[in-house]
Amino acid sequence: MARTDPKRDVVIVGLGWTGSIMGIELAKEGLDILALERGPDRSTVPDFQYPNVIDELKYGIRFGFMQKPRNSTITVRRSLDEVAQPMRRLGSFLPGDGVGGAGIHWNGQTWRPMANEYNLRSYVEENFGADTIPEDMTIQDWGVTAEELEPYYDRFEYMAGISGQAGNINGEIIAGGNPFEAPRSRDYPLPPLPQQVDSQMFGEAAASMGYHPFPRPAANASAAWTNEYGMQLGPCNFCGFCERYGCINYSKASPQTCILDALKRYDNFSYRVNSEVLRVNLAADGRTATGVTYWDDEAQEEVTQPADLVILAAYQLHNVHLMLLSGIGEPYNPRTGEGVTGKNYAYQMTGGTTLFYRDVEFNPFAASGSSGISIDDFAINQIDFAAEGFIGGSYITAGLSNGQPIRGISLPAGTPSWGAEWKAGIGEWYGHAMSIGSHGSNLSYRDCYLDLDPTYTDPHGRPLMRMTFDWKPNDIRMTQFMRSKIEEIAQAMEPDSWRSGYKSEGARYDIRPYQTTHNVGGAIMGTDPNTSAVNRYLQAWGQHNVFVLGAGAFPQNIQYNPTGAVGALAYWAADAIINDYLPDPRPLV
Amino acid sequence: MRIFLKTIAALVVIGILVLLAIIYVPVQRTPAQTALADDWQPEDGHGEYAMRLADCMACHTAEGGEPFAGNRAIESPLGTIYSTNITPDPETGIGNWTLADFRAALYDGVRPDGTQLYPAMPYANFRQVSEEDLRAMYDYFMNDVEPVRLQVEETALAFPFNQRWGLRLWKWVALDDPGFTPQYDDPVLARGEYLTEGPGHCSACHTPRNTVMAQAGLRASDPEFLAGGEIAGWTAPPLRGPQSAIRGWSAEDVAMILGTARNAHAALNGEMQLVARDSTQFVTDDDLMAIGTFLVGLNDPDAPRAGTSDDAEPTQTEQLLTAADPDMALGPRLYLDNCNACHFVNGRGADEVFPELDGNSLVTAERPTGLIAMILAGSQLPSTELRPYRLQMPGFGERLSDDEVAALASFVRSAWSNDAAPVSASDVADLRGEVQPAVR
Amino acid sequence: MTPRFLHATRRRFLGGTASVAALASLSMPLQAQENLVPLDEYEPTFLNAAEWAFIMAATARIIPSDGDGPGAIETRVPVFIDRQLAGPFGAAADLYMEGPFDVDADPNLGIQSPLTPSEIYREGIAAFDAWCVDNQGGSFADLDAQAQDAALTALSQGEPQLRPELLEFWSLLVQNTKEGYFADPMYGGNAGMQAWLYIGYPGARANYLEWVGRNEEYRLGPVNIAGERA
Repeated sequence: MARTDPKRDVVIVGLGWTGSIMGIELAKEGLDILALERGPDRSTVPDFQYPNVIDELKYGIRFGFMQKPRNSTITVRRSLDEVAQPMRRLGSFLPGDGVGGAGIHWNGQTWRPMANEYNLRSYVEENFGADTIPEDMTIQDWGVTAEELEPYYDRFEYMAGISGQAGNINGEIIAGGNPFEAPRSRDYPLPPLPQQVDSQMFGEAAASMGYHPFPRPAANASAAWTNEYGMQLGPCNFCGFCERYGCINYSKASPQTCILDALKRYDNFSYRVNSEVLRVNLAADGRTATGVTYWDDEAQEEVTQPADLVILAAYQLHNVHLMLLSGIGEPYNPRTGEGVTGKNYAYQMTGGTTLFYRDVEFNPFAASGSSGISIDDFAINQIDFAAEGFIGGSYITAGLSNGQPIRGISLPAGTPSWGAEWKAGIGEWYGHAMSIGSHGSNLSYRDCYLDLDPTYTDPHGRPLMRMTFDWKPNDIRMTQFMRSKIEEIAQAMEPDSWRSGYKSEGARYDIRPYQTTHNVGGAIMGTDPNTSAVNRYLQAWGQHNVFVLGAGAFPQNIQYNPTGAVGALAYWAADAIINDYLPDPRPLV
Repeated sequence: MRIFLKTIAALVVIGILVLLAIIYVPVQRTPAQTALADDWQPEDGHGEYAMRLADCMACHTAEGGEPFAGNRAIESPLGTIYSTNITPDPETGIGNWTLADFRAALYDGVRPDGTQLYPAMPYANFRQVSEEDLRAMYDYFMNDVEPVRLQVEETALAFPFNQRWGLRLWKWVALDDPGFTPQYDDPVLARGEYLTEGPGHCSACHTPRNTVMAQAGLRASDPEFLAGGEIAGWTAPPLRGPQSAIRGWSAEDVAMILGTARNAHAALNGEMQLVARDSTQFVTDDDLMAIGTFLVGLNDPDAPRAGTSDDAEPTQTEQLLTAADPDMALGPRLYLDNCNACHFVNGRGADEVFPELDGNSLVTAERPTGLIAMILAGSQLPSTELRPYRLQMPGFGERLSDDEVAALASFVRSAWSNDAAPVSASDVADLRGEVQPAVR
Repeated sequence: MTPRFLHATRRRFLGGTASVAALASLSMPLQAQENLVPLDEYEPTFLNAAEWAFIMAATARIIPSDGDGPGAIETRVPVFIDRQLAGPFGAAADLYMEGPFDVDADPNLGIQSPLTPSEIYREGIAAFDAWCVDNQGGSFADLDAQAQDAALTALSQGEPQLRPELLEFWSLLVQNTKEGYFADPMYGGNAGMQAWLYIGYPGARANYLEWVGRNEEYRLGPVNIAGERA
């Protein structure tokens, strides 16, 4: 069975952060909008309500709010000559599904990239010489600048009620903030969260070593907040159930807490759940999209939904998958370097050192998602790439985000993972460990990309997307550099013992342990249709009525958690659509 | 003896005549209180706005039903009263009503056929509605509301309340003179007084009832006016006097809670959520401020806000909850396990999001019905233009036994600066299964 | 012979807990505990008798009862595992189970077994028990604790050379044992919230703003999702 529904002005694929932002901004313009969400509907009550969501097994371990690989997954290989295998269960990263998307289950760290991350290739070439860039590294400039995006970061941060401390307001360095950050036009909307014991200890040690500690910018509200849509946040109560959970307390910025009830008041906006978009339909000449086709799970039929404007607002992986399935942009070919769709998939390079203190009570269950202290003294704009032998940077940080016991209790090196000694270990060390982490850039490479798998298919019969990705020496050198800096700090903090976990030379990508849900690239933005999939306004080069939001636009990964940039780019694109595109629909570049 | 019998007989005859007169003599209908020109026309939107002020929708629209088609079951102390269809349908609605008919319903509580309306219709208050507002409303119902053919359920109260003629006697006692004369020279206060006493009919719930179940005060000058009443078993808190729910509030605080169902101190609950949903969120800022200014003026300007003792020193309750000692009593332990997430150890919650429990009129009400219902079933704020979020407190009925709810309620009623009587498990048992959030 | 611990869960629970007085005053978990069927009378939903005996014995070594803190048996981890295997987890309800299955693929690319977790348990227990009979002189449940530990160590090191489809058996067993130990009691394990009490984890309370930054022991006992207190 199949049906065709009446045409809409706009169809939005996915109702997470970017779909909600674009939804409300375009709804204000009076456009007739339909958002299609593949997962279920979700609201704070009943879906995140206390006490039901405080269930580590269901949500932290069995991934209750995440996509089910049975319905949606990818295949993975680490090199062009390896046979990709399907990701049969979740591990390395956790895409969400349902209304709110990953915006419900993130921890809330909300950063702005460093100014030089937007023009990384030019920055390296100008400052260190083009030969600093390894032959297989395919980093590119974004085509936008920190100055251009500043108002949109500001808008996103005030919409989301971010708690933090500015370090640079219009060029003036503010004590207590990040002195290395790009200039911002004003302080964060809310003051920083209170800090846990581990963060205080790290901050004191870092300051004593001459570094510049500052509070992590957090989407966990430190006080009540009302945003531009009249939506409200309550103060975070440090419940210890942030990442992987919906917030019980209206405290974590999410589409639910910041946008959706305001958006639902617009009669010209509607949304459908359990409606997975299967492909974007293109006009006969391929120059525009005519709408989308989706699977209506309730009616058990395919629906053709015509629309004048198609917004791809799904998770990065799914946006790229839809582009590959629909013929939006030429698929990237790693052997020739030609093609754009799927190009420059990148991830995040992380590592950390755990410190054990018999006599300190860290009370890790008393945690918010993003409170904590960081330093940016080794950020990407502070490193001499030529001298250090790598391109990249990292923030270094402490801050316990939960004390959930199944997800893992840190134990000193040498403790067995089962048996009497393990049991003795958890009794002795639960609540007595903290960690200092490195959250670093991951650059893009010729053979790290996304395309369609030749073998495996999804329940709709579509080819799965194939990820080809591995760690590269440049990024491993970066993380080893950070290790040396973190271990210096750890030693200065005089723990009873400590242990480190960083990728070392020869490390291969492992899909099994959770690392981070910061998948980027594949639908990269840029200034040249031959090297990027979308223009600087996130408009598809080849189909001017298709806009592709999200972290797929990053030409390589920044050293920060991506949501701040994802949110700012969504407002940036919305602004371009409203003020430039709608009056005269056309390629904006 | 004969004289006595004659006197008795005469009294009986007089009584019968009076009774017949009450039943059969046509009711005198109150005329217009202001003479308006025959061709007077309301400005665009005036009628709908007056309807919002009077909140006709709340009672005359059934849950999920067509607007103004009536048939909403209103639980009253006398029994269930079904609201009437006030759409302009000629047969089942008010399509054939004249302006005078409409005025008589609002001012005198009588239908065109002379049937007495039960005082679920607040004509005691609507008698003060201006002729302009009344005519605008009439114009709105006749011209802007879609006619709906719907025969509503017949209201059938038990004897003696089914003898509607008795209401005529009651009205002699219960009704004040028609028309509105402000007691203030200040135009803002006068406007606030008009809105509150007249179309807003705040007194219908917030004023105690006297021995004949009439509002014990209809004007601001009556000390009983807005001194606290009851609605659907919940306390409609006093808005003046030592227990005033708004003592220490600013006019802006009042305007905010009426316009958005929430303010820095409290959130609307129970039936008042419906008032915000259907009425007050549509009231202009100026009118909300007028109401706020008027209501604040009824309160002692020097009275401290409830629950704000000395901010510098943590209260005993705060210290107890902060220590989290394993030996703590059941009440505070339940507070930490169920309430502290939002309302916090200081009982202050968070501005506009989590209501204060310290000094909260629902928490400390003499009748704990509202508090128990809140714990059992939770509550959801209506979406309003200024504050669209349907913030919701989940119910804890499934997690807490009757004894636990009683221990918890008793604790919060005596925590911080609160000083209200404890709650018993049987109070909780009586309500379990009966309550649900008002706005869904 | 019935092991002593099967009859003694409540006494051990009380005896093994420091704050008995606090528990007694807030007695809900004790009531809940009393309503539980003793483990030797529990009728497994998924596991057969031999499998149940294996799970009882294996989890008792993965988290033994000796020393401080409860073991897998007092916390009723076997019940948790049985219920998990009988439900969507055991049936791989969320997993991508389309072929082809390259069971010899590099482990970094993720588990590629065509078997569901419940099938992995079923076949894994049988295969490992057979290995125990051949190498240790008896099925696992019949070995003494020392031999059981040796057999599990061998299993953890891949010594029994189970077929590649069962590669995950050991890691599943350890992971699910720890899950049963620490998950909310509504899933059948962590009886009386003993595992939470042991490590000082307050369970499902989920609000601690006033505890942020306090280098101080948090002593208030846990609460579970059902609202029971310990």
